[in-house]
Amino acid sequence: MKDWKKIASGNGLNIPEPDLDRIVPALDGLEAVFRPLAAKLPADVEPAVIFRAEEGAE
Amino acid sequence: MTILEAASALRARKVSSAELTEAALARTARLNPRLNAMQTVLEESARARSRQADAELAHGADLGPLHGIPVAVKDVFCTKGVRTMCGSVLFQDHVPDRDAAVVEKLAAAGAVLVAKTTMHELAYGITSNNPHFGAVRNPWNTDCIPGGSSGGSGSAVAADLVFLAMGTDTGGSIRIPAAFCGTVGLKPTFGRVSRFGVLPLDFSLDHMGPLARSVRDAGVVLNAIAGYDSRDDTSSRTPVEDYVPAAEPSIRGLRIGMPENFYFEHCHPEVERAVRSMFDRAAALGAEVAPVRVPDIAALNAVGRVILLAEASAVMEPYLNQRDRFGADVLALLDQGRLLAATDYVNAQRLRRIMQREFRRLWERVDCLFTPAAPVPAPRIGQMTVQVGGAEEDVRLASTRLVRGVNVLGLPALALPCGMAEGLPASVQIIGKPFSEALILRVGQALMPGEIQVPALN
Repeated sequence: MKDWKKIASGNGLNIPEPDLDRIVPALDGLEAVFRPLAAKLPADVEPAVIFRAEEGAE
Repeated sequence: MTILEAASALRARKVSSAELTEAALARTARLNPRLNAMQTVLEESARARSRQADAELAHGADLGPLHGIPVAVKDVFCTKGVRTMCGSVLFQDHVPDRDAAVVEKLAAAGAVLVAKTTMHELAYGITSNNPHFGAVRNPWNTDCIPGGSSGGSGSAVAADLVFLAMGTDTGGSIRIPAAFCGTVGLKPTFGRVSRFGVLPLDFSLDHMGPLARSVRDAGVVLNAIAGYDSRDDTSSRTPVEDYVPAAEPSIRGLRIGMPENFYFEHCHPEVERAVRSMFDRAAALGAEVAPVRVPDIAALNAVGRVILLAEASAVMEPYLNQRDRFGADVLALLDQGRLLAATDYVNAQRLRRIMQREFRRLWERVDCLFTPAAPVPAPRIGQMTVQVGGAEEDVRLASTRLVRGVNVLGLPALALPCGMAEGLPASVQIIGKPFSEALILRVGQALMPGEIQVPALN
């Protein structure tokens, strides 16, 4: 599992300790489901983000 | 009375828009102190607009079925010259200089805007228990939540304050209040209704749609608000249709998917019974009910949570140095989003593509799916967990479990009252393939040809 408190500190987020204590279980739960999914991703799958170069030229 | 019935009465001169509007304002004045459904009531402008509508109709300038009808919009839709707070003190002085596209279109259709509805702070939650503006209450039991984040819209329509209230839905925020309050709630396909002028929670998950008293009314509203808008990068050019189903439509031969996995696994027994009765009704009307296994919805929900956490925190980052101006639940979600890695966000958007392909295969076998809209009836205000299927579950996660994935895939979905559980409404969710709003509304109308039941509040 990730050490969320170190991540918060390392990113300079200034999240108070009691607030971090409250969110760590939710993040751990999400990580447990999400990490195996991300690990199986084929390299050729592109993200579903929106950017259309042709519209920038309008 | 539905929008279509009121529209007919207006044209027969049996009632005037001014009378409908006065009735909406009077009922709001009487019940809103108990429900807190309306954040801002626009008495003066509503009265003026209703008189104008009456004059227009008298002169034959008929703008269609919404002309002269009292409506409300969630306080996340920008309204020119009218404060738009998004349920947050951060925006308590925000007075937009333009209308949201949906507000423009409702006005062009002649609707009379009587109020802006109360909502969960920043549209980021499902209780509508707002720390700054108070708890919105469910008309069926005022000790219960109306759902959220469009809780005021659900409460207002269920309590018969207005004919229609617009909501937004990022992870179930139209369908959850529709389910808990017993209204019709339609989340259209992503891109079907313009997001322009709506304070964003999540760029790629936000949807706009109506909460209404009947299925046909939801179609009337979608007719008015659907369509391409160049001001919204995600707006679709897919042609619009007539979304108002026939009064007694046929669903003979339609293939209704009955999920064998996930959706009924942890569900209140009375909710399950009510939703399953809809399969029987559809079959009796000639539809073919087909058991299907659906793709991994728990995985889909995890992908949706990563996307929402990351995008919402990105939107709100400029304000996160003002921690004391957020409620605790919203702040907790915003903090979670800041801790996710950029790679996780990108990979969630890649997983979204894979899941879209998996669902595309499902639509080759069925025309729509029936699921519960919420696994439990409305929890009580302040309740943190619910018991469902023998397990204790966080209220937010339980309430969004059956609806969030639909946002990730951008699919249209209709929440429809289908019975009662513990004296509160139960709701079926009809999910269709992209841009199949006309079909799911037709199915909904076949299942519920009348209007919603209004709880006794007097």
